Amino acid sequence: MAQHKADLLQGTLDMLILKALSHGELHGYGIIQRIRQLSDEMLHVEQGSLYPALYRIEQKGWVSSKWDVHETGRDAKFYKLTRSGRKQLGVEEASWDRLVLAVNKLRQAT
Amino acid sequence: MKLYNLLRDRLRALLGRETVIHDIDREMRLHIDLQTDANIAAGMSPEDARQEALRSFGNVNKIRDTAYDVRGGGLIETLAQDIRYGVRVLVKHKAFTAVAVLTLGLGIGANTAIFSVVNELLLRPLPYRDAATIVTVWEVSPRGRHQNTTSPSNFRSWLEQNTSFQSLAAFFDMRTNLTGDFEPEELSVQIVTPPFFQTLGVDPILGRTFDPGDDEADKPSVTVLSYGLWQRRFGGQSDIVGKEIKLNGLPVVVIGVMPPNFQFYIQQRSGTGRPAELWSVLHLGKLGDYGRFLGGVARLKPGVSPENAAAEMRTIAARRAADDPQHNLNFSAEVLPLREQFYGTVRRPLWLLLGAVGFVLLIACANVASLLLSLATSREKEIALRAALGARRSRIIRQLLTESLLLAGVGSVLGLGFAWLGIKGLIMISPRDLVNLHSVGLNMPVMLWTLLIALITGVLFGLTPALHITRLNLNDSLKEGGKGEGGQTSNRRIRSVFVVSEIALAVVLLAGAGLLVKSFLNLQQIDRGFNTDNVLTMVVRLPDSKYSQDPQIISFFRQALEQTRALPGVRSAGIVNYLPFYGGLGSATGFKVLGRPAPPPGQDPTTNVRVADNGYFQALGIPVLRGRNFSQTEDTEPKRVVLINDAFARKYFPGEDPIGKRVDVAMFDQPTPTEIIGVVGNVRYESLIDDFEPYVYFAHPDLTYSFMTLVIRTDGDPAALAPAVQREIRTLDPNQPVSDVRTMNQVMSETVSRARFNTLLLTLFAALATLLSAVGIFGVMNYSVALRTREIGLRLAIGAQPHQVLLLILKQGLSLTVIGVVLGLAAAFALTRLLSGLLFGVAAVDAGTFAMMSLLLILVSIAACYLPARRAMKIDPLQALRYE
Repeated sequence: MAQHKADLLQGTLDMLILKALSHGELHGYGIIQRIRQLSDEMLHVEQGSLYPALYRIEQKGWVSSKWDVHETGRDAKFYKLTRSGRKQLGVEEASWDRLVLAVNKLRQAT
Repeated sequence: MKLYNLLRDRLRALLGRETVIHDIDREMRLHIDLQTDANIAAGMSPEDARQEALRSFGNVNKIRDTAYDVRGGGLIETLAQDIRYGVRVLVKHKAFTAVAVLTLGLGIGANTAIFSVVNELLLRPLPYRDAATIVTVWEVSPRGRHQNTTSPSNFRSWLEQNTSFQSLAAFFDMRTNLTGDFEPEELSVQIVTPPFFQTLGVDPILGRTFDPGDDEADKPSVTVLSYGLWQRRFGGQSDIVGKEIKLNGLPVVVIGVMPPNFQFYIQQRSGTGRPAELWSVLHLGKLGDYGRFLGGVARLKPGVSPENAAAEMRTIAARRAADDPQHNLNFSAEVLPLREQFYGTVRRPLWLLLGAVGFVLLIACANVASLLLSLATSREKEIALRAALGARRSRIIRQLLTESLLLAGVGSVLGLGFAWLGIKGLIMISPRDLVNLHSVGLNMPVMLWTLLIALITGVLFGLTPALHITRLNLNDSLKEGGKGEGGQTSNRRIRSVFVVSEIALAVVLLAGAGLLVKSFLNLQQIDRGFNTDNVLTMVVRLPDSKYSQDPQIISFFRQALEQTRALPGVRSAGIVNYLPFYGGLGSATGFKVLGRPAPPPGQDPTTNVRVADNGYFQALGIPVLRGRNFSQTEDTEPKRVVLINDAFARKYFPGEDPIGKRVDVAMFDQPTPTEIIGVVGNVRYESLIDDFEPYVYFAHPDLTYSFMTLVIRTDGDPAALAPAVQREIRTLDPNQPVSDVRTMNQVMSETVSRARFNTLLLTLFAALATLLSAVGIFGVMNYSVALRTREIGLRLAIGAQPHQVLLLILKQGLSLTVIGVVLGLAAAFALTRLLSGLLFGVAAVDAGTFAMMSLLLILVSIAACYLPARRAMKIDPLQALRYE
């Protein structure tokens, strides 16, 4: 499975989390699953490192969280994108696009 | 470290560490559970599924800690870590910590003590309802005397014509004798019109205060007691209201008791020189029109400023002057806010003292900063190691700041101790007129102030060293043998700046203190016109009810004096109605010189008036310059004769012989010409610094007062004779109280108590500043010698003489001192002007004082350099060179 996995560039995790949440509120496990689904199983976020990142994002006010009952009957903490989180997602996607564009140009130049 | 762990756990519980961790754990557990479920669904056995879920999650503990740090828990953890580490550092460097804490304690303690006084007198609301709208109302005399009392007729027109005041009351202080089934006692009573208490807005704790009708003629006499008198004389009986007591032998009904802190005492305008112990009704309707003895207190209507009210009162005064020029020409009026009234004259000295202790604190900060720098040098390696292990600069600065705040915290605890002692001392030496000082203490605002200055000082002295150390090239420090020479040199430079600033601040304080001391000495050396040594004084007030006839009064005092003079150890004895500097007002009035054309109305010459006898001039050593003293007959029968003082003679009889001239002094209902029989020396009565004023002295039979002050010159200790004299008074009348038993030296000492208070405190602070600067320069020189050990060793090795080394070090210290002194003098030139109102006989910029204080500081700093210099001299060249 490792050969199919793309390495995560530092700093892209925030964007991925925001993107995952842009389709609706999720708990931590769900965020990982959603990233996997959306990337056609190509991106695997290291599960444990999700939480510190989530808390950091929450402190920045991009997501908000609340405890709720999970479909399995267990308690889960659900995260939701805030208005400023949505704006941030736009910013990060734009800068990601610029990066991709730049890298591609560089590669085609040879 | 048990204490520390306890503290940490408390902190965590307080800040909810457990909840935060629990929250994170729950979240992670769910994650792993869901992953396990997914694995099982994918076909794994439950055990494998769980193992795989945990594995793919990562290191749970590590992730939890990282997450916790992110969630803000880390900040607390680091703080706790910093504190723990800081405590360890401070404990390890015991000598450093002791010196730093002591220095800070002194600085913070002095600040707290002075602030407590400032807070009490200048910041705290006065103990009356809405005190900001209460004002006092006075006249201003044609001679420009402020806070002059007014006459009943003028006060009546104030009442009728003013539109500024909600209420206006008149008051004056006098003395009364309380008699009963106990030792008779003389008390200070405030005589007030009924609206007095409502104006101040203070309610009694028992009974009532005066009602509007209480001053009607047919109402019984009533009185309100102070809490102190109620407790002291009546044992705090709750049924005191309605009881009858005897004042001056007449029955008076007690109608109320005031709360403990209630007082309305205006010392400089008091006729008794001490706070009232009870209040009686002033019957304005029964008073004559003239004679100025009333003060006014009023509450402003909403929206009326003291300035508006003052303008209106001046208009009313002008109208009075036009209507009755004979009595009111050129009299004006003034209105003072209450705080101005009570503390107007202490405001400037107090702010100055607070500024002075601020300087002391700055010096303390500079010292501690300097100490921290030298401590940091020895910790350079440790700090470099931390940086090498990945600590960011901000992190190290935070660590160092935590240490300095810790120091400031411990220092301020010690400071509170010093402040507590300091406040006790302040109360002990406080001037009599700062009555409220007794309630000064370590209350909430004062504690907050201490906390604030602890924080400020902690950052102030901690920041420079912290910034400095972390800027050094830390690699150098880590290298074996690398001494980080550059760092040490700039370190020394910073410390030199500290020392120079300390010295400059100390110079300013010393210059100020020097000026005050010089001024105080001048004040002490003023010729008062009498000899204060070996003089005993006491006040005897005969009750009107018992001594209603003048001859009774005259003979009582004659007998009392005769018996006193017969006592062994008494050299001479006399009486006077108002003793010099007794603490209140005397009397003054207009007069006419017979045989001279009458001046226009209202422009009669004026003079102060005293009543005395032959013995008074002897007892105080007042010389008779011309003519003669009162005779034995004149002391016993009215003979219509007066003595005048030199100032009177010079002012009103220039180039003439006043002896035999006749004057009519307006102290009587009828014109009463009296003959001048002698001229006596000038005596200062109320002010040590104003010019001598004219005085006329009546013999007691000519102008009989029922209260007189006995003035007794003794051979030995005057205080020792007091009981004997009191016994003689009691043999004349067992019910007769005696009060204000004081030696003349005590009286004078109270007179200059305020000047002494300022002088003593500023001198103390200057001494503290000097001491701290000396410690500062000692520290820097010591450090410098240590740094230069190799160089000095080399010098000695190639033939320098030890005394040359001594000079070298002294010169270095001295040059720092001289720079500091020059800067300090420049600042002193600018700042001592603030003292100008407090100085007597010395200019705010006094070259002599400044030079002396500079010299003093230079000598002190030479002494402080001497020990390090001697150490340098004793350096063993061989060892110094080999050691490096």
